Amino acid sequence: MDIFANLAHGFAVALSFQNLLFALIGALIGTAIGVLPGIGPVATISLLLPITFGQPATTAIIMLAGIYYGAQYGGSTTAILLNLPGEISSVVTTLEGYKMARNGRAGAALATSALGSFFAGSCATLLVAASGPVLTSVALSFGPADYFSLMLLGLIISAVLAQGSVLKSVAMVVTGVALGLVGTDVQTGQQRFTFGIPELSDGLGFAAVAMGMFGIAEIILNLEKPEARSVLKTKVDSLWLTKEEWKRATPSVLRGTLVGSVLGILPGGGASLSAFGSYMMERKISKGRHLFGQGAIEGVAGPEAANNAAAQTSFIPLLTLGIPSNAVMALMVGALIIQGIQPGPRMVEAQPDLFWGLIASMWIGNVMLLIINLPMIGMWVKLLQVPYKFLYPAILVFCSIGSYSINNNVFDVYMTVVFAVFGVMCAKLKMEPAPLLIGFVLGPMMEEHLRRAMLLSRGDPMVFVQRPISATMLAIAAVALIAMLMPNLRKGKEAAMAG
Amino acid sequence: MKLNAKDIASGAFLVLLAVIGLWLNQEHALGSARRMGPGYMPMLVFWVLFALGAMVLVLGLFSGPDPLEKWTGRDILALVLGVVVGAVVWKVAPGFGGFFENTYNAVGIGMMVGFLVACISRGWALIGFICAAMCFFSLLLEQGGLMLSLVGTILIACTAEREHLQRPLGVLGMIIFLLALSWWVFIKQLDIRVAVWPQF
Repeated sequence: MDIFANLAHGFAVALSFQNLLFALIGALIGTAIGVLPGIGPVATISLLLPITFGQPATTAIIMLAGIYYGAQYGGSTTAILLNLPGEISSVVTTLEGYKMARNGRAGAALATSALGSFFAGSCATLLVAASGPVLTSVALSFGPADYFSLMLLGLIISAVLAQGSVLKSVAMVVTGVALGLVGTDVQTGQQRFTFGIPELSDGLGFAAVAMGMFGIAEIILNLEKPEARSVLKTKVDSLWLTKEEWKRATPSVLRGTLVGSVLGILPGGGASLSAFGSYMMERKISKGRHLFGQGAIEGVAGPEAANNAAAQTSFIPLLTLGIPSNAVMALMVGALIIQGIQPGPRMVEAQPDLFWGLIASMWIGNVMLLIINLPMIGMWVKLLQVPYKFLYPAILVFCSIGSYSINNNVFDVYMTVVFAVFGVMCAKLKMEPAPLLIGFVLGPMMEEHLRRAMLLSRGDPMVFVQRPISATMLAIAAVALIAMLMPNLRKGKEAAMAG
Repeated sequence: MKLNAKDIASGAFLVLLAVIGLWLNQEHALGSARRMGPGYMPMLVFWVLFALGAMVLVLGLFSGPDPLEKWTGRDILALVLGVVVGAVVWKVAPGFGGFFENTYNAVGIGMMVGFLVACISRGWALIGFICAAMCFFSLLLEQGGLMLSLVGTILIACTAEREHLQRPLGVLGMIIFLLALSWWVFIKQLDIRVAVWPQF
C-alpha cells in the first residue's frame, strides 16, 4: 500500500499552485507546438531550458514533461484537419484521421484521439508509478561495470532504432560522447580540448548544443522548404462519437496503450515508433481492417493512444536508471543536471517530491489536456493560421536571449551559432542529431563508471563479461546490432519508419 | 560503383574529427587501464570514431547513389570569401581598440561579417542571415541593450524570407510584439540581468 501513500504525497506536491500553473503552461505550450508544424518538442524544450534554471527542479521538470506529452495531443489536430503531421509521432494519424475528416467525421476523429490519448496516458502514468520503485531497487544492486554496460546498451539500441543508417547513428552517438569529453577531467582536474577558453572548462554548454542543433538548424531547414500549409476547409462538427464508433475504437485504444507502453520504455523508442507500431498492428488485426484507407477509426484510436502512452513510459528509464531513452529525455537529464540533481536510481529515494510529484502531475496534465484540446479546439484551429514566417523570428529571439541568459555570457550565443551550422551540415549529410545528443549526455557518466569499474577490477576488462548483469546487457546489445545487419529486419524497420 | 556522396562526406568528416581528437589527445597522460589518466577515454572514443568513420566512408563507395546538393561556382566562391573575410575581420578588429577589444566582440564581428558575406550566393543566404542575426544580437546586447539588439536581430532574420521584404508593416508589427513579449518573459518574469536600453 506504500504506493498509494507515495502517490498521495505526489498529488500534494503536484497540486501546489505553482506546480499546477506550470503543468498548465507546459500543457498549453505543448499543444501549441504540437499543432504547429515545423516546431517540435525537442526544439521547444531546448529553447526553454534556460528559463527553467530559476525554478525549483520539480516545477521545471513538470513543465518540460507537460510540453512533451502535450505535443502528442496537439500533433493529432493538425494531422486530422490538415493532413499534415504537427509532430513526427502523428504521421500515421494523417492516414486515417484526414480521411475521417473528409468523410465529415472530423469531430469524431478529434474526440477519439483526445479520449484515447487520455486513457492511454492515465494507464501509462500508473505503470510509471508501479514500476519506478521496483526497477529502482534492482538498479541499486548495479556495480559500475553493470552501469557502463547498461549505458552502452541504451546507446546502441537508441542508434539501432533511430531513423536512417544504423552505422551512421552509432557514429553520431560516438561523436556525441566525444563532444562530452570537452572540459575539466573530473579526477585529475586537467583541462581537455578546451583550447585555453575559460568558458569551456565546464564542458560544452548542453543548452547551446541542443538549441543550435534542434532550434536554429531547424529554422534554416524549414525555411528551405516552401511552406505547404493548405487553407483550412474542414468544418469541425459534433465531437460526439456514435455508438458504433465507440465499439470499434475501444479495443484499438486498449491495444494501442499496450503497444505504446512497451515501446516507450525501449531506448530510442518513444512516441513516433509506438504510433507506427500500433498502426501496423491495427491494420493487421483490428475488426475494421478492411476499412483502412477509407477513414477507419481504428487507425486513429490505436496510434494516438500509443504515442501518448509512450510519451509517459519513456520517463521510466530516466527516472529509475538515469538513462535517457530518446532526445527529449536527454534534454530532461540536462535540465536535472543543471539543477544539481544526478539522475539515477537514487533519485526516487533522494527526490521523492520530484519523482512522485512528476507522476501525479502527468495525470493532472492529461486531464488538463483533455479540456484544452476538446472544448477549446477552435482556438488551436485559429493558431494553425499563423504562418511559419512569423514563427521563426520568435524562435530565434527566444534562442538568442535564452542562450545568453544561461551564464550571462555572449560566448554561449556564439556556441549556439556554431552548433546551428553543424546541425545543418548533419541534416544535409543525413546524420541524425538525436543519437548525438544522447551520447553527449551519457558520455561523461560512462567515463566515470568505466574508470571505477576498471579500478575495482585492477585493470581487467573481463569484468564486463564476468558480472552476469553486465554480460547480459552486452549480449543484448550485440544481438540488437547483429539483428539490424540482417536484410529482412532492416527492411522491416525502413518500412515502419516510412509509415 | 554507386557512390553515396553523403556517406562519403560524413565518413570523411568523422575520420577527420577523430584524427584531430587523437592528435590533440597527445598532450594528455594516458595512464594504465587500472588507473586511467585524462587521456585514456578520449583515446578509446576517438579510435572507435575513427573506425566507424572509415566504415561509413568505405561502405559509402557502394551504397549510393545519393548525391550531395549541387554547389554552383558562386556557392563555393561565397563560402571561401565568407571564411577569409570573417577570419581577417576577426584578426584585424582588436586593432581598433575600445569595443572590439572586449571579451568576444572580435570573434563576433568576424563571424557576423563572414556569414553576411556568404549570403551573396543564394545557397548560403538562409544559414548566413539567420546566424548573422544571432551574432548581431550578442555583439550589441551588452552595450546596446536588449531592445535595440532585438530590433536588429529580427530585421536581419526577416531578410532571410523574401515575403517579409514586400510587407514592411507586418515586420513592424512583429517587432513590436516580440519586443513586448521578450520584455514580459525575460525582464518582468525571469528578471535576467541584462540592460534593456542602450548604455552610454
